[in-house]
Amino acid sequence: MSGIKLEGISLDYGNHFALKEVELEIKQGEFFSLLGPSGCGKSTLLNIIAGFLGQTTGVVYIGDQDVTNIPPYKRNLGMVFQNYALFPHLSVRDNVAYGLKNKKMSKQDIKQKVDESLALVQLESYATRMPHQLSGGQQQRVAIARALAIEPNVLLLDEPLSNLDAKLRKEMQFELRRIQKSVGITTVLVTHDQEEALSLSDRIGILGDGVLQQVGEPLEVYRRPANRFVAEFIGQVNIFDAVLSEGTVYETTAGFKLEAERHESGKQPNRVRFMLRPERIFVEQHVSGEDTANRVKAVVKESSYIGNAIRIRTEAGGIELAVHAPDPMFPVLPAPGQELVLSWKKEDIIYLEVLDHESN
Amino acid sequence: MKATRQKKFYGVLLAPTLIFLGIFLLLPLIQLLILSFQQVDNFFEVIDGYTFSHYIEVLTTPVYLKTIWQTLFVAVITTVICLVLAYPAAYLLVRSPKRWRAFFYILLVSPLLTSVVIRTFAWIILLAQNGLVNDVLMKTSIIDEPLDMLWNMNAVIIAYVQVMLPFAVLPIATAMSDIKGNLRSASMILGSNRISTFFRVTLPLTIPGMISGAMIVFSLAAGSYITPLLVGGRMQPLLPLSIYQQIMQVYNLPLAAAMAFTLMVLVFLVIAVLGYILKKWEVRVNG
Repeated sequence: MSGIKLEGISLDYGNHFALKEVELEIKQGEFFSLLGPSGCGKSTLLNIIAGFLGQTTGVVYIGDQDVTNIPPYKRNLGMVFQNYALFPHLSVRDNVAYGLKNKKMSKQDIKQKVDESLALVQLESYATRMPHQLSGGQQQRVAIARALAIEPNVLLLDEPLSNLDAKLRKEMQFELRRIQKSVGITTVLVTHDQEEALSLSDRIGILGDGVLQQVGEPLEVYRRPANRFVAEFIGQVNIFDAVLSEGTVYETTAGFKLEAERHESGKQPNRVRFMLRPERIFVEQHVSGEDTANRVKAVVKESSYIGNAIRIRTEAGGIELAVHAPDPMFPVLPAPGQELVLSWKKEDIIYLEVLDHESN
Repeated sequence: MKATRQKKFYGVLLAPTLIFLGIFLLLPLIQLLILSFQQVDNFFEVIDGYTFSHYIEVLTTPVYLKTIWQTLFVAVITTVICLVLAYPAAYLLVRSPKRWRAFFYILLVSPLLTSVVIRTFAWIILLAQNGLVNDVLMKTSIIDEPLDMLWNMNAVIIAYVQVMLPFAVLPIATAMSDIKGNLRSASMILGSNRISTFFRVTLPLTIPGMISGAMIVFSLAAGSYITPLLVGGRMQPLLPLSIYQQIMQVYNLPLAAAMAFTLMVLVFLVIAVLGYILKKWEVRVNG
């Protein structure tokens, strides 16, 4: 079992870069997710790690071996595909045994290993079934057993859960994490589902336009996104461009005031792009008092109920503010036109980008 | 309610074809079947009364038995050669870039667009004693004497393969393009190189295509008579040629009918066996 190191991976298609200078180190035993919108290069990167695609420049290390010139069938990797890719002409047992037969193992060892692998995914009693006799979730488990049976150095998961319905997907996420922990294998998951990435991963790498935008733990990338792309891709977000007014108080283009904490550089930048997560906003239904810093009157434009929360689109000073209020807050959904007071703590105002350093 | 109305509509769509086949295929076949049991006099004129004697003659006369055997043998050889040659062609068709694919398809079916006479004459020009192939081989001193390549069974098989190849390529190409691309990836990541992946994934998954192709090629090769007549000569021991002789030269129509039915039953048997294997396989793989 080993980690993965990517050094300066670029894939140049002549007219555009699919990947640009990706530097990444995935630790041994880590569950790492590559997250990004479709077309961002995450599957491309996974295929480069697997060896199905060759990079234009850069080096892939698995463990401490440079695998750049090693074909996929010699890399000893486990891979699970989006549509499971079970061999339809082989039984569950023969699917799981497929990779083992390439390893010159004795029949008895193969049988034992297949039984072990099927036990790991709790499908012992399905060994003689054909793939078409299994449900989507079961097929996916067979695919996982098949990938792990060869005792690979690394497990690669290419959007493995995206074909399953929501409830089954949740179950399989849990299952995947359990299996990964029990085997202790370095795992790379490619997904466009931010919730999946957040709940499963030790660390997440967010890819956008072929560039690795940020690498960090789930909490870190959600709470302290490195840039606007990451902030907007993971979760909903309110973004304000603001100009320093005095101290740590800024005035937004919409005209209301924000008070942030001191900037980490020690010197307050002049123009800043801030972010504020919708669930960090408190809602008061009793409208009173004047607007102050971090407290603003707003008008409801639309609200929708999603069970554990109420999503409200509001307008404050000509810009839209998204608010997520906890379910018990409102006995009935706030109606369009209703006035609310929104407020937030200054530590929830996050510096996203410094637009201009010069102080006036 | 809606479903039955839809079924009725399908029936209406099928009707013209069914009526046509009924009048021009089924009725003549029934007539032929009756004919094959009718007695003949010494001049092979049909007379009253029914008999099995024509079938007994076909199935007990050594010459006819040898002919039946040869017919099946040639059909099997043709089928095998077609399948082997079809495989790389199907691969090329499936893997070629989209804009080339149409061109390859046309190239592939072009033998079918040529008249059998023209096609066969081309073979005569190529394979005759003073034909192109012998000329080249002689001029380059590879051989001293011209090879006998025409008017024998080899010529028949070569000509069969040429015209029947597309019928083998198309179903194999279809089966091949139905294989999901990431099955090959899955095989490779599990440690199989390209060759092993071919034998363990691609080849088994194209079995249905091969069986479909084999059914078509076999039945065509067992039943053709123009091609063997033109490149093999009329003395080749092939059942379609014997039928032709009985009708055109001997005028023993009931015997010809009995031979025709024997051939048809044999071909049906082979197709039934192949069809059974195909069905078995598809139930196993697709449920």
